[in-house]
Amino acid sequence: MSVTTPGLAEGVTEQINREAVEALAAEEPGWLRERRLEAWSVYESTPIPSKKLEEWRYTDLSKKLSLDELSLLPWAERQFSEANAPSELRSAMASDRAASGHLVELDGSVARVDLQDELASKGVLLTSIRSAVQSHPDLVEELLATEAVPAESGKFQALNAALWTDGILLHVPRGVRMELPIRVSRWISEAGRALFSRTLIVADEGSRVSFVDEVLSPDFTRQTFVSSAVEVFARNGAQVQFVSLQRLGRGAFHLSQQRTLADNDSTLDTLNVSLGGSVARIDLNAELRGAGANSDMLGLYFGEEDQHFDHNTRQDHRAPHTKSDLLYKGALDGRARAVFRGIIKVHRGAQQTDAYQTNRNLLLSNEARADSLPNLEIEADDVRCSHGATVGQLDQDHLFYLMSRGLPRAQAERLVVMGFLGEVLSRLPLGGVVEKVSSIIEDRLRA
Amino acid sequence: MPQNEVVEGLGLDQYKYHFITEDEPVFRSGRGLNEKVVREISAQKDEPQWMLDFRLKALKIYNAKPMPTWGGDLSNLEAVLDQIYFYVRPQEKMERSWDDVPANIKDTFEKLGIPEAEQKILAGVGAQYESEMVYHSLKEEWDAKGVIFDSIEDGLKNHPELFREHFGTVIPSADNKFAAMNSAVWSGGSFVYIPKGVELDTPLQAYFRVNQEQMGQFERTLIIADEGAKAHYIEGCTAPVYSTESFHSGVIEIIVKAGAHFRYTTIQNWSNNMYNLVTQRALVHEHATMEWLDGNLGSKLTMKYPSCFLVGEGAHGSVLSIAYSGDGQHQDTGGKVVHAAPNTSSQIISKSISKGTGRSTYRGLCKVYEGSVNSRSNVECDALLIHPTSRTDTYPYIEIEEKQANVGHEATVSKVGDEQLFYLMSRGMSEEEAMAMIVRGFIEPIAKLLPLEYAVELNRLIELEMEGSVG
Amino acid sequence: MSEIPILEVKNLHAKVADEDTEILRGVDLTLAKGEIHAIMGPNGSGKSTLAKIVAGHPAYEPTEGQVRYLGQDVLELDPDERARLGIFLAFQYPVEIPGVSIANFMRTAMQAHLDEGEELDLFDFQDQLLERMELLDMDPSFAERHVNDGFSGGEKKRNEILQMAVLRPKLAVMDETDSGLDIDALQVVANGVKKLHAEDPEMTVLIITHYQRLLNYIQPDHVHVMVGGRIVRSGGPELAEELETEGYEQFRAPA
Repeated sequence: MSVTTPGLAEGVTEQINREAVEALAAEEPGWLRERRLEAWSVYESTPIPSKKLEEWRYTDLSKKLSLDELSLLPWAERQFSEANAPSELRSAMASDRAASGHLVELDGSVARVDLQDELASKGVLLTSIRSAVQSHPDLVEELLATEAVPAESGKFQALNAALWTDGILLHVPRGVRMELPIRVSRWISEAGRALFSRTLIVADEGSRVSFVDEVLSPDFTRQTFVSSAVEVFARNGAQVQFVSLQRLGRGAFHLSQQRTLADNDSTLDTLNVSLGGSVARIDLNAELRGAGANSDMLGLYFGEEDQHFDHNTRQDHRAPHTKSDLLYKGALDGRARAVFRGIIKVHRGAQQTDAYQTNRNLLLSNEARADSLPNLEIEADDVRCSHGATVGQLDQDHLFYLMSRGLPRAQAERLVVMGFLGEVLSRLPLGGVVEKVSSIIEDRLRA
Repeated sequence: MPQNEVVEGLGLDQYKYHFITEDEPVFRSGRGLNEKVVREISAQKDEPQWMLDFRLKALKIYNAKPMPTWGGDLSNLEAVLDQIYFYVRPQEKMERSWDDVPANIKDTFEKLGIPEAEQKILAGVGAQYESEMVYHSLKEEWDAKGVIFDSIEDGLKNHPELFREHFGTVIPSADNKFAAMNSAVWSGGSFVYIPKGVELDTPLQAYFRVNQEQMGQFERTLIIADEGAKAHYIEGCTAPVYSTESFHSGVIEIIVKAGAHFRYTTIQNWSNNMYNLVTQRALVHEHATMEWLDGNLGSKLTMKYPSCFLVGEGAHGSVLSIAYSGDGQHQDTGGKVVHAAPNTSSQIISKSISKGTGRSTYRGLCKVYEGSVNSRSNVECDALLIHPTSRTDTYPYIEIEEKQANVGHEATVSKVGDEQLFYLMSRGMSEEEAMAMIVRGFIEPIAKLLPLEYAVELNRLIELEMEGSVG
Repeated sequence: MSEIPILEVKNLHAKVADEDTEILRGVDLTLAKGEIHAIMGPNGSGKSTLAKIVAGHPAYEPTEGQVRYLGQDVLELDPDERARLGIFLAFQYPVEIPGVSIANFMRTAMQAHLDEGEELDLFDFQDQLLERMELLDMDPSFAERHVNDGFSGGEKKRNEILQMAVLRPKLAVMDETDSGLDIDALQVVANGVKKLHAEDPEMTVLIITHYQRLLNYIQPDHVHVMVGGRIVRSGGPELAEELETEGYEQFRAPA
C-alpha cells in the first residue's frame, strides 16, 4: 500500500476550523464550496448536544468526545494493494469475493473501485464521491447532503457536510437488478484523527441492489472519530438492502448518521451491526414517504469491556399503506452499555400503516447496563402498531435444557446467545454477512 | 344544568357535574402565588413555625425551577397561574357530621352521592371543598382499632411526631416544580395511619370538589400503612365547567411498611378546563404491596405518573391506569417503578382511549438498580383510537443496571375494528352499543379491579362518552 | 307456494365496496320456512359474499337486485336491524373481542332483541343460557371466557352455534362453518345445528360450504351450486354427492 501525501496547502492546519473547510473546497465547484461553508456555519451555530436533549439522554458527549484534541486527515491519493493491506482488512475482504463490485476506502480516501463490466455497461455507477463531483456533478449537487442528511439535521451532520473528504456513490439505473452485493471496505489506521466520509446510494425505479459497508481499524491508544453520513434513496418499486458492519478498534468513536427515503412500493431494508469501537452511535431515520413503501430495520450489537452503543432510530410514516418492522437485539458483557431509543411516528393521513418495533437486550454480566426507550407517536387511527422491549439475562431453563443434554455451561451459553442474536441475521440472509458476523461473535464469546 | 338534578352514583357519571354552588367564602387569598399568600395560608391554619419555614423554602425552590418543557402544553400556564386564587376557605371549621356542614356545601356533596355511598360501602369519608376539608368521618369500629383518617391539618395538629417523621420524606419539595408549588401552598387532603396488622374491609374515600372559578386546589395527603396493615383509599374529583382555566396540583405520599398492602384508587373526572398536575409516590418496604389504580377521564391536561419505589426486599408495586381523552383533552399519564432491592416485582398496565381530537400519552419509567437481583417488571400499554384525528404516544424509559433482572415492555395501538363492529351488530346491537361494548372490553382488565359500584359507574361513563362517536 | 318465503334473493349483483369487480352476477335463490339449503362452490365463487350481504356486511355493496326477508327488502337495513328481525350469520372467521365475556355479550345481544322499554330478566337469561349450553354439551364456565379471545378454531365455531342457540334466529346462514375443523369439532357443530333445527323446525338454515363433508351430518333439502357469482344448478342432496365425485370443473363457464 503506498500513500502519496501531498503537502498541506498554504495556511491549512489540521485543526477542525473554517480554514480547513476552505482548503477542502479550494478547488471544488462553487455550489459545493458554498454548501460546505454553509454547513460549517450551521455547525458553528449549533450547540454540542447535551444530555438534556432526549436523543442524547444516555450518551454524555462532554465525557465521551473531545473534538478539540482531534486533527483532520486531508484527502490523499492512495493506492490499495491487497498484498500490502493490513491483515485485518485482508481477512475481512477475503470472504467478500462474491460481489457485483468492490470499493476500498483508506483513511477517508477512496483507493480502489471495481465493478462488473456487465453492470457498468448497464449504466451502474460505483465511484468515489470526490471524483463524482467532477464526473456526475448534477447527481451529486442534487442529492448530496440535501434531502436526506443535510447540514440542518444537526451539529454532527453539519460537521460531516462541511468536512467530508471522500465517500461512496452508487447509482443503479431504472430496472437494473443486481444479483450480488456491492461490498465496501473502509480502513482507518491513524489514531487521534477525525475522519468524515459519506455514502450516497440512489436506486432508480424498479432496480434492485444490496450494499454492504464494513468499517475496520486497529485498536487506538488515542481517540479517533469516524463520522459517516449515509443517504439512501429507493425510487418507486426499487428494492434496496443496506448493511453496515462496524468493526472498529477500541478508542474509536463511530458516528453513523443514516437516512433512508423510500418512495412508492419500494423496499428499503437496513441492517446495522455494531461490534467494535469504544463508542458507537447510530442515528437512523427511515422515512416511508411513498404509498406502499416497506422497510425492515434490523440491528445487532455485541458489547464487552467498556463499550458504549447508542442506537437512535426513527420510523417515519408519511404515506398510507406503509410498513416498517424494526428489530434491534444485543448482548452485553463486561461493563458494556447499550442504549436504544426508537420512535415510530405515524403522521396524520398515513392510514393503513403497519409499524412494529422491538428491542431486546441480554445482559451477560453484572456490570452491563441497557436502557431502552421505544416510543410511539400515532396520529392516524387505522394503523397496526406495536412495540416491545425486554432486558433480561440468559434464560436459565434454556441453559439447563442444553446442559442436561451434555453441553458444558460455556458452550450452552454461547449457543443461547447465538440463538438470541441469530434471529436478526436470519431476517436478512445476505450471502457472507451472516457467516461473517456469526463467526466474529462466536470468537468473542469464546475469548 | 338545573341545580336540583339528581345525580346518581359516585361521581363517575358523564359530565353532569357542571353545577355551581352560590356561596361566599370565609377567606380568600389574592390572585397569583407569592410569599404573602404562603404566609396567609400558614396563618389561617395556625401552623407551627417549622411548617411555615418548610413552605417558604419550597416557594424558593418553585421559583427557581423552570417550567417543564416535556409532557403537555404548559405554554399558557404561567398566565393562568397569575389569575388563580391559591387559597379559598369555604367555612370556619371542619365538621364530623353532615348535619353541621353548611347547607349549600352539603347539597353539593349530596348531588355527588357522597353521603349515600358513605352509608353503603365506605369505611370513612373525607370531603374537600375549595381549599379545605369540610367534612371528615371514620366509622366507629375503625376508630376504635386506632385507625387515623383525618384532614391533613388535623394530622399535623393532633399527631405532630408521626406527621413530622414522614411528611415530605417520600416526595421532597425539590422533586419537581409542582411538588415544590404544592409544598408551598398545600391545603386540605388526608392524613391516614393504619396501625400494625389492621385490615380495613371497605375503602376510605376522599372527595375533592372545586366550585369557584379560577381556583387552585392543592391537596396534600400523607398515608402510613404500618406493618401488615391493609387498606384501600379512593379519591374522586369534579368541578363545574368554566371558560377560564382552573388548576389542581396534589402531592400524595404513601409509606407502605413491611408486609402491608395498600391500594390507592383515583377516579379523576375534573371538568375539561382544569390543569391537573399531580405527584404521587409510594415507598414500599419488605414484602409489602402497593397498587395504584389510576383512572383519568376529565381535565384539560393531566400530567401524572404514580410511582412505586421498591426499597425493601420482596416488595411489589403495580400501576394500573386507564386514560380517556375526548375532544381537546390531553392525558399525559403512566407510571414509574424503581427497583432498589432484591426480589422486587412490578407491573404497569396502561389502557388509553383517544376520541375526537383527544390525545393520550403513556410516559413511564422502569428502573432497576444494580444489586436488585431477581427483580421482575412487566409493562403493557394498549392504546385505542376512535377517530382519524385522535392521537396517542408512548414514551417508556427502561433503565436496567442489574443482570439478574427480567424486564419487559409491550405496547399496541389499535382502532376499533370494522370486523368487530360488524360482528356485534350482526348479533343485534346498534353501532353505538357495539362501540361501547368493545371499549368496555378494552378496559375490562382494569375496571374489574374496582369495587363493583365504581366499575358500573365507569362503564356507564364510557357508554355516555361513546354516544355520538360513530357516523 | 302461498306462504311468503323466508328468504328471496332476486337477480342480486354485488361488489366489494371500494372496488369495481363484480362478485355476484345475478343470484336468484328462494328459501321456504324450515328448509335446509346448501350452497356449494369453489373458492372465489361468491358464496361467502352472498352470506355477508344477507347479513349486511358493510364491505360489500349490492349494485342491483333484491334480498327479501319475509317479504321485506332488507338491503337498506343495518346489520343489527337484520339480526333483530331474525337473521343470523355464523362467521367463517369469528372475531375476537378481548375483555368481553360471552355471557355479557349474549345478555347485551338478547337485550337488544327486546322491544324498547322492555328489560331482560337477568335470572331468566342465566337460566336460558345454561339451558342452551347444556343442550350443546358445553361447560358453563365457557360463558365466562372472553369472546373468541384465544379460542381454538373449534371453540370459535362452537361459540357461533351457542350464539345461534341463544338468539333463536328464523334464518341461520352458516358461512363455511366447517372450514378448519377436525372431524370431532365438525360433528359437535353439526349436532348443534341439528338439535336446534329439531327443536324449531321452522328455523331455516342456509349452509355455505366448499366441501360435502358437513352435509354428511346435516342433510339438506336443496343443494345449489354457485360458480362465477351465479347459481348455476340446483337440486336435491344427491347433487352434493355428485360434486364430491366430479368436482366443480363441469360448471366452469368457458372464458
